[in-house]
Formats: sequence, C-alpha cells, structure tokens
Amino acid sequence: MLEVRDLHVAYGEVRVLHGVSLTVQRGELVAVIGANGAGKTTMMKSILGLVTPDAGDIRWNGQSLMRVPPWARAAAGIGYVPEGRRVFPGLTVEQNLRMGAYPVRNPREVQAGIDEVYALFPRLAERRRQRAGTLSGGEQQMLAIGRALMNRPRLLLIDEVSMGLMPIMVQRAFDIVKSLHEQGMTILLVEQNARQALAVADRGYVLELGRIVLAGTAAQLQSDPRVQAAYLGGGSGGFHDGRPRA
Amino acid sequence: MLAQQFVSGIVIGGVYALIAMGLTLVYGVLRILHVAHAAVYATGAYVGLITFQRTDNLWLGLAAAAVFCGLFGVMIHRFVYGPLLDQPRIVPLIASIGLFIFSQDFLRLLFGPYAMSFPASVPFGLLELGDAVIPGRQVFILAVTAVLLALTWYVVGRTRLGLAWTAVSQDAETAVAMGVNVPRVVAFNFLFGSSIAAIAGILVGMHYNSVYPAMGEMPAYKMLAVVVLGGLGSVPGTVVAAFLLGLVETLLVGFAGFVLPRDAIAFVALIAILLLRPEGLFGRSDA
Repeated sequence: MLEVRDLHVAYGEVRVLHGVSLTVQRGELVAVIGANGAGKTTMMKSILGLVTPDAGDIRWNGQSLMRVPPWARAAAGIGYVPEGRRVFPGLTVEQNLRMGAYPVRNPREVQAGIDEVYALFPRLAERRRQRAGTLSGGEQQMLAIGRALMNRPRLLLIDEVSMGLMPIMVQRAFDIVKSLHEQGMTILLVEQNARQALAVADRGYVLELGRIVLAGTAAQLQSDPRVQAAYLGGGSGGFHDGRPRA
Repeated sequence: MLAQQFVSGIVIGGVYALIAMGLTLVYGVLRILHVAHAAVYATGAYVGLITFQRTDNLWLGLAAAAVFCGLFGVMIHRFVYGPLLDQPRIVPLIASIGLFIFSQDFLRLLFGPYAMSFPASVPFGLLELGDAVIPGRQVFILAVTAVLLALTWYVVGRTRLGLAWTAVSQDAETAVAMGVNVPRVVAFNFLFGSSIAAIAGILVGMHYNSVYPAMGEMPAYKMLAVVVLGGLGSVPGTVVAAFLLGLVETLLVGFAGFVLPRDAIAFVALIAILLLRPEGLFGRSDA
C-alpha cells in the first residue's frame, strides 16, 4: 500500500535520512521506533510532502507520490496525527474536525464524520464549542486523532502519540491506536516509546541516525537483545519513556 | 456637532478597516507586512475614477477597480512575494516598500502629479439622523463599507475558505497536511483584500473629492498602525482598531485640532499601545 524506497533527506547541509526503505501493507500496524533525532518525524513529513527528499521514491498504491503536491496527499487518503498534536489552537473542537474533513465537499458527509468522532470520543462532544488550545493534552490527542479520521483515510500516519501525555493517558492513547487497527485501519506509527509501540504493532523497524538498522515482526524485535538493551530498558518495570539508555 | 463628528469618524474608520483588511489577511498567512497594499489602494482610486470619467457610471468604476486591483494583488503575490518566501521576512518587506514607491511614481507618470477631482453623484440624498446631517456621499460610503465588511465577516467566519484561512494562519504546515491548497488560499487572500482596498480607494477619493498619486502614503502608515493595534492577523481586531482610530482621530481633531495634526494621532496611539500592550489591543499574548 505504502512503499518508501531509499529515501534521502537533508536540511541544508545536515543530512537526516540516508536511504530509508520500508513498506506498509493494507491492514497492518507498522511501528518505527527510534530515539529523538533519529529522523522519524522527517520520514513522516516526507511521506506527507511537507519536506522534499533529495533522492528516493515514495509509492502509494503503486503510484509515485513525488509529483503529488502535499495538499493533494490528504485527498489521496493519507491521514496524519502530527507530533505534539498540532491542533489549531484558536479554532473550536468542531472547527478542527471540519478542517480534518477539508477535502470532503459534501456537508452531510462531514456532519456524519463529526458524529462518528463524537461517538468515539464523547469527551470531544462535550467540548465541541471550546477552543482547542484550552483542552488538556489527552483531549488534544483525541482531537488530533479524530481530526485525522474525518477524511476517512486509508492510511493513518501517527507521530509520537504518547509524547507529553500523563502515563495514564499514554495507555489510553495506545488503546485507541490498537482499537483503530482492530477495526481494520492501516497505521504507520512512529514512536519513542518502543515498549508500547511494539506491544500493539504487527511489524516494526528500528531507525537509528537516519538508517533502518533492524526490521522484523513485533515479536522478533521485542525479543532481540539489541532492541531490549537500547529501547526496552532490559525489561525493568515501572514507568518508562522509551529513550535509549546510554 | 458631536453627532456630526461621530458620523465622520465612523466613515473614516470604516475606510481604514477596508484598507487594513487586506494587510491582515496577507499577514495572517504569509507573515509579510504588505506595504505595497497602499499602492493597490491608490491604483484602485485611479482605475475607478478613469472608468467613471469614461462611462459616467459609478458602479462600473467600483467593479472595474475591484477586478483590476484584485488581479494586481494576485500578481504581486505571484511575481514579487512568491519568489522571496524562502528569504528572511525583511526581504519581501523591502521589496514591498520598493514596489510601493515604484507604483506611486508610475501613477504620477501616467496621470500627472496633480490631484484630480472625483465628481461622482450618488444615489443617496441628505440623511438627517437627529442632530447629524449626513451628506449623500457619506451615506453612500457608509453603505458600501457596511456591505463589504459584512461580506468579509461572512467569508472569513462562515465559509470553508475562511476556515482554511484561519487554520493556515495558525499552523500552515498542519493545514497543508489536512489537504489545504495553501498557495490557492493565499492567492484568494490577495484577490479579496486587494479588491476591497481598491474600492476603499474610490470611497476616499469621493470623500475628499480628490485622487492623487501619493494618496496611498498616509494609509500605508496608518494601516500598519491599525493592524498592529488589532493584534497582527486578527480580522475582528483589525475592524475594531480601524473604527477606534477613525473615531479618536476625528473627535480629537474636532475638539482639540490645534494640539496635534490629525495624522500624528494614529502614531502616538501606536507607540502608546506598543509600550503598554505589545501584542496589540486584541492580540493573544500566547500567539
């Protein structure tokens, strides 16, 4: 469904991705784990066209996306839950959802989408007229996910769903991701919190300093000693933010 | 006397709002101070006047100015700002000032340095409102201003495009990811803001019965004052600030005209506001 081939990206002189390749099949939940600065967000933005790769190809259902302008990629069926949620702070909850449905021109379809999101997150319905900037972090994350669902995407890109959330909300966020996946949504998840990400994913990739260093099923990665040492903290209990231990 | 001054202040304030609106729309999405907008305004006055002289039809003058200047605005975006968007914001600002000066001199070359009168008759007579007697021209200006401000409110507040504009002004990158064709939204801003400024140019030309090449000069500075007072990029803030400035100016000049020249008041207010509330009267301090 999605195929990233040998992607190279640089910001000016700083090279961030050095030939990243990965695939996502229909119905899969694929996790890309890696530390801060590994290039995870850059990879997501390349798929969305928000940064321009120097080399490589991104194929969507067999067609190259390289000449598709970024705003047309949402209409092509790619939904996006940005890192840090990035809800429009001055717009109300409902206006944020309407923005998520921007490519949808039929008002009835938009309203149906809003109703579905409210059914999924009743909390958002209670706050529909509130400005998004005044919501709690967890509510903003629900809004960011709901907004991405408004366009009925065929692939959902989720960047750091757990970032900046309280531990109880982290669990809730991953439960939402898991249940979306169980309902058939194809998801590419990028995450520092390797433990949680691999617990919900089918397959995973490990991104280190702009290169994929390891790939496999979630179970393979979970039992890989290198992954355990670097990302799973040797299985110690308690709250864990997923950062590699030096 | 007071009522008369008040109406006059509303007329001036409304025109300020029309001019500053384009600046606010552009600043909101591009973060460029579009100084050349004042040249669009002056050009609008000339296109309106020339069309009126040829056809003796004021409505045709308004329409011609709106269309011509709307396209002028889109071309400024396309050919002047577009190629400079990757540069630090000072670069398009300097280009904008240069374009403004160039356009003023171009108008001077085309039409001469002298003021031309705008002898349009309007479909309104004297309007008496209590103490105030409002000349037909002012009634016309008020009516056109009200219609255009209502139209702006509708487009920004009630349409999909207006929602997209607000979203782009808050987070352009995320708006793109949501499927907003940002260049098209920006182009529409220039089209819409420039058309409104062109009509404002005609209204001012009629108000003072004078159209001259440098007529954009004072509005260029004042619209900056208005958008800063209004909180840079806030549409309602711009409208309120414009009316506030128009009223304060007119009333102060009416009652204490010898203290400060009219045009200085805007800038005294601007400095005072910047010292007291750097985010503007209606700006969000978190923005």
